[in-house]
Parts: sequence; C-alpha cells; structure tokens
Amino acid sequence: MPDTPSLTAFIDARSLPDSTVLTPDLAIIGGGPAGISLALALAGSKINIALLESGGIDFDPKIQKLYAGQETGVRYTALDAGRLRFLGGSSNHWGGWCRPMDEIDFEARVWMAHSGWPITRQALHAYYPRAQDLVEAGTWMYDKAGPTMAALAPLMQLGPGGLYTSWFQFSKTRDSVLPTYFGHRYEQDLRAAKNVTPYSHANVTAIRLASHGQTVERLDLATLNAAGTPARRFTVKPRMVVLAAGAMENARLLLASNDVMTPGIGNQNDLVGRFFADNPIPRDVATMVVFGGALPAYYGTNTTVANGTILKPTFAPTPQWRRKAGVAGSLTTVEDGVDLDDTGRAAVITTALALGVDASNAKAYSLGCGMELQPDPDRRLTLTGEKDALGLPRLKLDMRIADSDFALYRRTLAELGRQLLASKAGMLRINCDHREQWLKAMDWGNHHLGTTRMSSDPRQGVVDAECKVHGVENLYIAGSSVFPSYSASNPTLNLIALTLRLGDQLKKVIA
Amino acid sequence: MRRRSIIAGVVAAGAALAAGLYRFTDLLVKHYPPTPYDDLLGQLTDRDQAAKLGAKIPGAFDARSEAARLRSALQGRSLADATSADIAAGRMVEVESWVMPQTVVSLSALAAHASSGSA
Repeated sequence: MPDTPSLTAFIDARSLPDSTVLTPDLAIIGGGPAGISLALALAGSKINIALLESGGIDFDPKIQKLYAGQETGVRYTALDAGRLRFLGGSSNHWGGWCRPMDEIDFEARVWMAHSGWPITRQALHAYYPRAQDLVEAGTWMYDKAGPTMAALAPLMQLGPGGLYTSWFQFSKTRDSVLPTYFGHRYEQDLRAAKNVTPYSHANVTAIRLASHGQTVERLDLATLNAAGTPARRFTVKPRMVVLAAGAMENARLLLASNDVMTPGIGNQNDLVGRFFADNPIPRDVATMVVFGGALPAYYGTNTTVANGTILKPTFAPTPQWRRKAGVAGSLTTVEDGVDLDDTGRAAVITTALALGVDASNAKAYSLGCGMELQPDPDRRLTLTGEKDALGLPRLKLDMRIADSDFALYRRTLAELGRQLLASKAGMLRINCDHREQWLKAMDWGNHHLGTTRMSSDPRQGVVDAECKVHGVENLYIAGSSVFPSYSASNPTLNLIALTLRLGDQLKKVIA
Repeated sequence: MRRRSIIAGVVAAGAALAAGLYRFTDLLVKHYPPTPYDDLLGQLTDRDQAAKLGAKIPGAFDARSEAARLRSALQGRSLADATSADIAAGRMVEVESWVMPQTVVSLSALAAHASSGSA
C-alpha cells in the first residue's frame, strides 16, 4: 500500500452546530497568502491551528459582498473589487509580480515623513528564500539577472546616475497566464498538515478582549446561509490570534471590536485605518526613444530563461539617488511602441546629431510605472453606519495622492532621461506635468498597505517589531497592513517573508 | 580658335550655373540668410529640425546674450563635447517635456530665432 498522508478535513463552518466553541492554540483569521503561508510555516509543529477563512474554495458573490464599502477622494477600485474573499484571498487575482524590497525601503528617510520600519531588511533575509518558493517565482535572480538577459540580447545601457536596471520575477504560470493562486496551490498541503484545521465559510465578526483589555478572550464567528443572511454563530477561544485578513479587513475588525476598548483594538492612538496606501500605476508616464532602434523583446514581454525563471526589466532608483534627490521608490517599465509627433522627431534628430549618434532607425516606447506613495495619515479607512449581512460596520476609504508624490517620481524620470543621453542610447519625454494628466490613465496595484503600521513606539504604530499589537498580549497581525512605509516593490513576496518571520516568533511564544 | 572659345564659354557658363545653383538655391546645400550667429548655427547638422524644436520653447529669448553664452560654452570644443558636458553636469532643460541638454536647446532656440527673420 502506498503511504498516503492522512488529510485533515477542510471543515465547512456551516456544518458546525450552533454555539460550537473551538479551542485551538492559534487562530489565523484569513486564508490568503499571509494566512496560508503562516499555517504552512507552522505545519508539523505541535501548535494546534485553526485557519479561519471567510469564503469557500471558490468565489461566491454573497460572501464577496461582505467587502462592499464606500470610496471618496481620488478615484479608486471599489472595496469589493480590489480584493477577493475566498481561499487564497487576493492571490486569486494577482499578476504574480515579485521583487524584494530594498534596504532603503526600511529606513527612516529624512525626506519622507512617517517613514521607517523598526526592523531592517536583514531581519527578513533568512525568510526570502522560502517566500520565493511559496510564490513559485523560480531561482532568486532579481538584481543579478542582467548577465543572463544580456546573453540573449544586449541590455540598453544607462549612463552613470540615479537609476539602474533591476528585474521583476514572476510567479510560475499555469495555463499560460495564471500565477500561483494560494488557495488552489496549497489546499492539499493544508489538508496534509495534521496540526492545521482549515475552516471555510468562517466569518470572524468580532475580536473579544478580556475586560482588562490586554488579551484576546475569544473570537465571535458567523456563517452565511444560501440567502446571504446569518446562519450559525460559534466561538473560537485560542491562546494566540493572528489577524491576516488583508489591510482593509484587518483595520475593519480592529475598529469594529470596540466593546472593551472604545476606539477599537490597538487604536488607542488613533492609528488603525490611517496611513492606508497602495502602489499607483500611472500609464504612459513617458516616451522613451531608443536611438539605435528596437529594444530586445524582453523589455516589453515577460521572458522565461533557461532555468525557468520569468523576468522583466525595470528601471529602479538607486539608494544613493533616492537619498540625494529625496525621491520615493519607483519601478519604471517599458510598455508599448508609440509614434512621435513632429516636435518629438525634431527633438530626436537635433539631439542625436548633436551627440554624433545615428538615430535614423530610432524607435519610441511608452513607459509605465509602479510608484511608492509617501505615508499620509489622512489617507484612511473608517467605519460607516452601514452594516453588512453579518452586522459588521462597512468601511469608507478616503483615498488621496499628493501632488508631491507625482513630483518626486517626475524627478526620477528626468534623471532617467539624462542617463539615456549620457549613454547616447536614447532620450525621454515626460508625458505628465499636471495632476489631471497623471490621474487620467492611472490604475492602482490593489496592494493594500499600512493600516496597522509597525513601530516600536506605541504612539506611532499599531504593532511592534514582532507584529504583536501594542498592549494586547496574544494578538498578532500578518500581512502588508503592518508596512509603515511601502516601497514600490509588489508586496506579496515581502509580506510572506515577514509572515514567515512571525511564524518563527510564534513557535517560540507558544512553545 | 572659335571652337576653343565655344568650349571655354560653355565651361564658364556651366561653372556659373553650378555656382548659382550652389549659392542661390537649396538644391545642393541648404542656404540661409546671413545672421550674426552663423558661427554657432553652423554647428547644427539639421538646422530646420532644430528651428522646429526651438519654436516650441516658450518665453522671451535674448539672442545676443544667449549667443554669447553659447560661444563661451562651445569655445575650443565640438558641439558633441559641449553636449556631453551638459549631460554630465546635469544642465538639462525640458522642451515640450523632452529632457534635453542646455546647449542643444539654446542652439535650437537660436535657429528658431534666425528662421523667424528676427536675427
């Protein structure tokens, strides 16, 4: 007989008797990339874990509707459209873009108010390899990918200056385009973990503190019936809780759980829900002309190299430049080919001739970008008076982006233009001057960040350097909601590394 | 004697025609009315394109002082060298949001000034 692993059942919470009380060592709220990564990190340990996922294995519009809310300010993705509420969470619609954060992303940058982590990138160093495995992004190459790609076709050279060519890697694709969806990819691994019991359709409606406010006593949960109304209610009484429901829902649950601490859990300094952030993705930010003609195809298309890793180049500011010019993070990519107008042709011909360069075959490309926002306490989530089907107050997002966010990135683009000229490789036009131009074709990454920010100082943060909520002994938060400043790198790989670090911490604490 | 005269006459007429074509038409070489800045504008390989670009530069333009500045910048070196020096030193200007070296932009402005007949 083959030795098959005994699979723990995925328990559908709708099948639990009313008023059931579960008593795991650890309750993980949320079965997205953070929650699943944490459960897998602790699989095989002696910690008895309940993984509480609101949704099922697949999308259900009734459950998704629990995410609906209001948005004001700058145009933003509807709150029930930019995230997904079923096993795997928002990895069910991610694009698979991966890049580790840079050391400078963790630093308190004097030119950027409210920036800085209480830990350095070094604290995550040991966890990146496993995180890279979990996102299935192949061999760790990133900033070292240049020689591999140059062997395929010469890189475009940048002159000395503030930007360098870095590389995105991508989660392994399936069916041509789909990256790692954590629910589908790791469902069997979760079932195989004897100490992990995943519950589907288990909606946490409140985190209940003991009367002294210093420990979580229990979690209230409810299920929805087929009509989308509350069905069963049950309770989880864990020794430890990790909130891993995404930056919006983490804040919502903390704010709504206000029976003992009136402002909400962890919100004694009015920080929960503030500093919300995302990565703006303005389109056609610049026109880049390459004097020598077409760029190698890998500039515009994700390219798989011999070891199976998928790569795409990006122009990133160096730490030195970021410090010198006082700019934020940004990752600029080559998009589609474009035509030049008469002025553009005149600029290219005149400049190329002045440099003594032949531009008779010049080709122009549109550039896109992922930007880092500056932290802003007024870009925030608050509760509204409206409630969802389970009685939880809905969220309102006040979305903002400052003119200075655009101005800082514009400074970086101007430096890229200078470097292209310095290498005599090309030149650049910056296509956005005014706020309206930036906003006109701007998307968002739907990378929800910052609402339970990390700081060693309880007055400045919701969680400490170990991701524990200040003032509450047994409540931790996993995910990008703890990022106090953000980086332009896509968060998934980084939040998983941080979550794996939390896993090691929990092993010590619970043991 | 007569035959020689005819040949000489034809050669002379041909030379005169070629000189005329060269000097008074743009068939062989583009000609521009003389300006006080021809020493500078001569650095431009394609003066028409530079003028087209220069026409997009907004604001008042003091050709005399700009020419003096350019002569200083270009003294003893080629346009390519002066342009590279601008780039290395970060002396960049935007024209219609094109990020360009200062010297190239100034020459373009001068070319536009000259083509407008203001020189």
